[in-house]
Amino acid sequence: MTHTWVLGQRALRESWRAPEALFPTLFIPLFFLVVNVGQAGKIFPSSSTSFLKGQSYAAFQLPSSLLLAASFGSAALFLVEDIEGGYFDKLRAAPVSRTAIVLGRLLAEAVKGIGIATVIVLLAIPFGISVASGPLGFLLLVGLTALWAVVFTGFMQLIALKTRSAAATNSGGLVFFPLLFLTPNFVPRHLLTRPMEVAATFNPVTYVMEALRSLILDDLAWSHVLPGFVVVAVLGAGALALNVRLIQRYD
Amino acid sequence: MTTAAVLTARLVKHYRGRGGVVEAVRGVDLRVEAGEVFGFLGPNGAGKSTTVRMLTTLLSITSGTACVAGVDVAADPHAARRRMGVALQEAGLDPRQTGRELLVLQGRLFGLPPREASQRAQQLLELVDLGEASDRRIKGYSGGMKRRLDLASALVHEPEVLFLDEPTTGLDPASRLTVWDELRRINGRGTTIFLTTQYLEEADQLCDRLAIIDGGRIVREGTPAQLKAELRGRRAMPSDPTLDDVFLDATGRSRDRVAGDVQEVSV
Repeated sequence: MTHTWVLGQRALRESWRAPEALFPTLFIPLFFLVVNVGQAGKIFPSSSTSFLKGQSYAAFQLPSSLLLAASFGSAALFLVEDIEGGYFDKLRAAPVSRTAIVLGRLLAEAVKGIGIATVIVLLAIPFGISVASGPLGFLLLVGLTALWAVVFTGFMQLIALKTRSAAATNSGGLVFFPLLFLTPNFVPRHLLTRPMEVAATFNPVTYVMEALRSLILDDLAWSHVLPGFVVVAVLGAGALALNVRLIQRYD
Repeated sequence: MTTAAVLTARLVKHYRGRGGVVEAVRGVDLRVEAGEVFGFLGPNGAGKSTTVRMLTTLLSITSGTACVAGVDVAADPHAARRRMGVALQEAGLDPRQTGRELLVLQGRLFGLPPREASQRAQQLLELVDLGEASDRRIKGYSGGMKRRLDLASALVHEPEVLFLDEPTTGLDPASRLTVWDELRRINGRGTTIFLTTQYLEEADQLCDRLAIIDGGRIVREGTPAQLKAELRGRRAMPSDPTLDDVFLDATGRSRDRVAGDVQEVSV
């Protein structure tokens, strides 16, 4: 645990000292929130749109922005820097468990995810968005976003470890982006066209998005929230296992 | 017989490349005694770095065995890592940390409690003369400073065996001499040094014994004086050859051929 913690602290210092990598994770999701609401907000007035539950369309769009913010995976690019610069070998030559090397970065990603999600939600509140599920719901909202950041980074790290290339990792990350958009992104799932509805139903990100949305729009409804946590738990365990396996076989 | 600092038996490494299997190391037998400075020489692509990476647990071993400080590196890599320090070809440093942060972290990874890790970092920063730069980020360090910090980070846990892969490549002459002094001081304290280098003068100056590897096999082994005397006797040379002559003879290269080879020049 000590190794995971000290490596996590180091990864956090690394992020803090690269504000140029941190800034887009805040700016781009907020930009998309403003643009999406600007384009579709008038179509869905809160007074006559039942799925908004009395809130603005921005509240409906906020989960997309939170998931986008948590899907940058910049930690994987820092990992490639470590590999290319030789520091990764330094860590591998130390008596540190391979799991700790993976978990250290993921721990830092969770902390970063908490910070970014908190800032985005706090910035949204002045624009009339509220978290209907209350303080516990706020904590769950931030926590689930952070856990998704861990899952996404875990998969990006797999690409980093396999390819050892910044360009490939960057491009590989884009493979996951369609998953973010094959979701009930603009309207609830039952209003999607049939093919989109089927695709969204098979897409695990849908359940994370719906859980986040439920926390914003509804009173705490565990039946909507739990599937999101189950998805991040299953995908997170898979990503962690694959990361450890890759790093143990790393030559 | 005392435990050897480094002991390998029929050490082999094969890679699977696109063009088939590459035999990078083909049955290396080495014995380095505790307290020695051992030089491991060879032309580019001869298998030096591959051997070092196997010895330091960074690369899997295809066949054969390797022990460092009496520990089998494949069977118990964790225990082996505790006994060795490693500074590889590229100074493996995190440019966003300060020198002090890097050394404290390294100490923590080797199991030192926080206060002890800080004290050890301070000692090492003074040892490698980086005290004044200790709280600056590493990205601002010169090549020589990075090398010295890398060396310090390999010494955090006072290893029994120190592996250095081309520790002075790319350094200016003054920085190179500083590193040499450092290595002599470290060896004087009882640490065994296993060193690869492209600079034969460096090997001559520092090493008690050396081995030359070519094509994945050891082709010469002995003290610099023994190797020179052997060549002089075999070739009936009128005066002692240099280590360059020994190297060229051992690797089947000649001065003419090396001078005539097309050299890649990077600008």
